[in-house]
Formats: sequence, C-alpha cells, structure tokens
Amino acid sequence: MNTAFIANLILATVRMAIPLLLISLGELYGQRAGMVNIGLEGLAAIGSLVGFLVSFVTGSNWLGLLCGALAGVAVNMIYAFATVTLCADHTVYGMAINIFAPALASFIYRVYFGSGSELSQITLMRGVAIPGLKNIPFFGDLLFNQTPMVYITVAIVIFTAIFFKRTQAGLNYKAVGEHPRAAATLGISVIRVKYLACVICGALAGIGGAYLTTCYSNTYTEGNVAGRGFIALAAVIFGRWTSGGILLACLFFGFCDALQIRLQVGSFGIPYQFFQMIPYIATIVVLTLIGAKQAGPKANGKPYRREQR
Amino acid sequence: MNKLTKSLSSFVVPLISILLAFLVGMIIMVCMGKNPADALYFLGFGAFGNAANFGTTLSKATPLIFTSLCACFAYRCGVFNLGGEGQFIMGSVAACYVALRSGITGVPAMILCLAAGMAAGGVWGLVPGVLKITRGQNEMIISIMLNYVATLFMGVVYTNWLRDASVPQTEAVPNETKLPRVLTGMRFTYALVIAIVVGLLIYYFLFWTSGGFKLRAVGINMTASRFNGFPVKRYILTSFIVSGAIAGLGGAAELLGTQFRLINGFGAGYGFDGVAMALIGQLHPIATMVVAVFFAALRTGSMTMQAGTGVPTSVSDIIQALVIVFTVAGMALTKLPQFEQLRYRLRSRKGGNAA
Repeated sequence: MNTAFIANLILATVRMAIPLLLISLGELYGQRAGMVNIGLEGLAAIGSLVGFLVSFVTGSNWLGLLCGALAGVAVNMIYAFATVTLCADHTVYGMAINIFAPALASFIYRVYFGSGSELSQITLMRGVAIPGLKNIPFFGDLLFNQTPMVYITVAIVIFTAIFFKRTQAGLNYKAVGEHPRAAATLGISVIRVKYLACVICGALAGIGGAYLTTCYSNTYTEGNVAGRGFIALAAVIFGRWTSGGILLACLFFGFCDALQIRLQVGSFGIPYQFFQMIPYIATIVVLTLIGAKQAGPKANGKPYRREQR
Repeated sequence: MNKLTKSLSSFVVPLISILLAFLVGMIIMVCMGKNPADALYFLGFGAFGNAANFGTTLSKATPLIFTSLCACFAYRCGVFNLGGEGQFIMGSVAACYVALRSGITGVPAMILCLAAGMAAGGVWGLVPGVLKITRGQNEMIISIMLNYVATLFMGVVYTNWLRDASVPQTEAVPNETKLPRVLTGMRFTYALVIAIVVGLLIYYFLFWTSGGFKLRAVGINMTASRFNGFPVKRYILTSFIVSGAIAGLGGAAELLGTQFRLINGFGAGYGFDGVAMALIGQLHPIATMVVAVFFAALRTGSMTMQAGTGVPTSVSDIIQALVIVFTVAGMALTKLPQFEQLRYRLRSRKGGNAA
C-alpha cells in the first residue's frame, strides 16, 4: 500500500464511476416519472457503438458523445411508445430493448467494419486541468485533471439534486411518478412528462455507453457495457432515488471495479476471474443488505391510461 | 375480451410480428444491395432444406428450448428469471466436472452428469429466489449479476482447473459419455428428446394439476393468492429452483450432446434469448418450444444465407430482435381499450351491412 497505488485506485474509481453515474441518472429521471426502464444495458450498448463509430469517422469525441446520446434517445422512443402509448409492461419491454439494441449495435459494427479480426481504434478524450484546484496537493492532480465528461457528469448530479428538491418543475415531474392521476388534475401533462423522461433517460444512458468508447477504452467490443446497465439499476435503488445517493452508490461500484483491476495486477496466484466477479458480487451483497425498504416512486412501472378512473 | 379472441390474438400477434420483422429484414437486405428473395431461399434451405440441415436446426434449438422453458416457468409464477444463462452455465460446469473427473463413463455417467447439471442450475436459481422471498429483493438484477459470476466462474474452470494443456478450454468429455444421436445423418441428439419431455411435463404440470393452477394463480395475482391461503413464497422459491434446474439440465445436455467441452462463449446469450422466446410464445410451454425451433432455424439458415448471398448472419439477429419488439408491443396494443372499441365498431358495421 503506497501512495501511487492509492492514487491509481482513486483515479480508476472516478473513471469507472462516471459511465455508471450517467446511466443511473438517466434511470433516475425515468423512474421519477414512473418509467422503470430495465433496457439501460441495451441503450448503453447502442450509445457505445454509435459514439465509437462517429468518433472514428469524424475524429471528434464530442460529436461521438452527442450521436451516442441521440442513438439512445432514438431507441428509447420505441420503449416510450410501447410503454406510455400502448401501455406495455415496462419490464417486459425493457427486456425487449435489451435484446434488440445490442443486436442492432453488433449488426451496424459488422456491416461497417466487416468481420476482420483487426480492431479499429480511436483517440480518447484528453484530460483538462482546472487551474487553481489542480494545485491542491495529491488530490488536485487526481480529481481536477480529468476529462471534461467527468466535470459535466458532476454538474448533472448537482443540477438533478436542485431540480428535484428546489424547483416547481422538478416537483411537478416527481408528481407524475408518485401519483399520475393527481398530477393530471393539477394540469400537468402526464404523457408529455413521461415521454420527456424517456428522452432524458435515453440520452444519458446513450452518453454513458458512448463514454465507454470515447473516454475509457479506445475500441469497441461486443458486450463492452458488461452489465453496467443493470448495476446502474441497483445504484438507483442503493442511492434511494436521490442524485446524491446515486453519486455515492456509483462511486462505491466504481471503486469495486477499480479495485478488481488493481488486484488482477497483483494476482497472488488466484485466477483473475475471481477478481472480476467483485463488482457483480458487491451489487448482490449491497442489494441484500439494504433489503426491501422500497422508497421509490409510488406509481413506478404502472401504466397510465388517461380515461381510466 | 372473450376467451376465443384472446387465444386467437395471442396466436395472430406473434405471426404478424414475424412477418413484419421479415419485412424489415428484407428492406435491410435491399438497402445492402442484395436480393431478398435469394436470401430468403438460402435461409429456408439452410434451415429446412434437407435432413442434415433440419437436424442442425433441431440441434441448435435444443439449448434454446431449455432456456426458454426456464424463463417460461418462472414467469408463469410472476417472477422474472433473467438468470437462465448463469444457470445454464453452472449446469454445464457441474456436468463437465462429473464427466471428466468422476472416472465413470457411459450411460451411468450421462445420468449423473445431467443430474449434477440440474442440481447446479437449481442452486444457482435458488439464490435469487431466496433473496426475493426473504429480502424482497429485485430478482432480475440479482439473477443477471449471477450470470456474470457464472460466466467468470466457467472462465476459471476452463483456464485453470480443468484446462486442456495450453489451450484455454477444457478437455472433451469421453466419447462414451457423449449423448448419442437419435437418427444417423441428423445432428440432433437425445438432448432434444429430453427437452421435449421436459416441455411436455411442464405443460402437464401448469395446466392439468392443482399445483400448476396455484402457481399460475400466484403469477396472475399474488395478493389474491395470499388471501386464498396459497403458500406464495414457497411457490416463488420452487419456481425459481425448478426454472434454474431446467436451465442447468439444458447446460449439461448441451455439453454432452453438442459442445463436449467448456470454452469461451459457451452459453452466451441463451438466457435472454430464452426470455424472448417465452414471451413470443405467450408463456405457453409448447408454443415456446415451437418459437425456439423457429429461432434456431433463423440461426442455422443465416449461415447458409451468408455463404450463398453475402448477407451477414447478423441480419437474422435483427429479425429475431424485431420479432420480440413487435410481439410485446402488439400484445399491449390488443389490450388497449381503444383497440377494443375499434374492433367493436368494425364488427357492428359488418353486422349493419349484413342486415
């Protein structure tokens, strides 16, 4: 245990937590409007592919992230139409998205790059130091010399906290997830809020996926989301449906991920796969420990039919 | 909606979805500059063209039947078992150990392997079940996390514990322990027979026994079942164990019948595919098995299609994915009140014309 080890661990924790955080925040916006979307894994997969492809073609990581977000929104609109307008079961339809979106992503990848074994690579987004804060000893270099996406994600966390706690619009938004019929009598357009929730959820999950290819790993491989969409679901529950809680939950899961990579290097003769299990087992343990005190939105996952009383 | 139209729509909706999915698939082929008619011909020929091809389709369908029955059984009890893949893999790992390390071969080894697979799958299904009923935990997340754990555990087995010399895979199971083929010249083995028997048993249990009735009642309305005095928690746990055991049996049968060794990618995606097939089959065990054969046909045929016309196999993956997207949306559509009104209006207009 030396400073370099700890510094690396902190750095990796932040880098691992960001994609989870983006995806979980997307889910938070969804669930606050009563939309339980378990299709996050699929949304992140398509975002990851599109982000990679656009960055590869244009050379711009920002354009890649943007298009990743748009791809997430596009796919999530299928989910929105089926669940909001057709009142399909959220879980079942989320599963359909989880099957459809990765198939689409791998199809696009194979058509564009062929089935050759050669891996195409892109240049990753570079870190930007924040002047002043960067000079704090030890932590300055770790926390304030990150890619812009890290700062943007933290800004989204802060914005989300203020939006849901302090603004009228945020309270109206939450009302849709708690009691849509009451919200409707207050003149809130429930359907519109639900669609808006799906747009935000799709965009954030898409960016979360695109982060993996534009800021984290410079190649696209099938299955690179590796369950983050589902860990993000757990993070929302663990974070008690608040953006601050989700931030901590994601840092914890990010830490597990960072730790397993560091431990793999040390290895100690133990097969590396056991270390790779750590994030998944941690998710199970955390969910088991916090139990079923469901504090989520009351009307979560329930269909809303306007004319029904 | 009366019972007849309900069962009719549960038959028609998947059929229309399949047609729509094929339509989209053909549009994609046209966009890629290929002739869709040729592609469809090769797809059909590759899947059903001759006895050998049909045998390959059935052999590919076998593991899918197991995982789709696994998803079907759990969902009938109202719990979403997304862990079919992990249970399938744990089943195959257990079977692999018995086949390679027990020292016995032949029919007794086969039976022991299949039993070990069932037990391992059942245990892997037990975990989310126990957490669900004791801690009220979300069974979907837990079972998916266990998929990743199982895949990694299998990795340990084929890269370390049962590694075949320098290659990252296990040794092949002994020839005497391999499941034999039913007919010479066709690739499917007795694993398919086991799969069909399991499917029929589930059908019988769900629809012709009081236990099955209660299990379905729990699935339809847990609160009502609890007030009726049904042991809801016990049914949930049992459904998880049985569902896991079915997938585990599938994993063992796949190992002994088709793959013979554990290797990277074994069983990947079978769990989610199983969920998709169970949903398209409207959670009916027999319909689910038919859907599994259909999916397998798409997979087998797409290889021939790629070789014959250059249309990549992933087009068939898109078609499969679209079938589930359309089916679930379609089923929701038929349940909408507006749809009911539309149907009613159409019928009354028809009646008016006749009069």
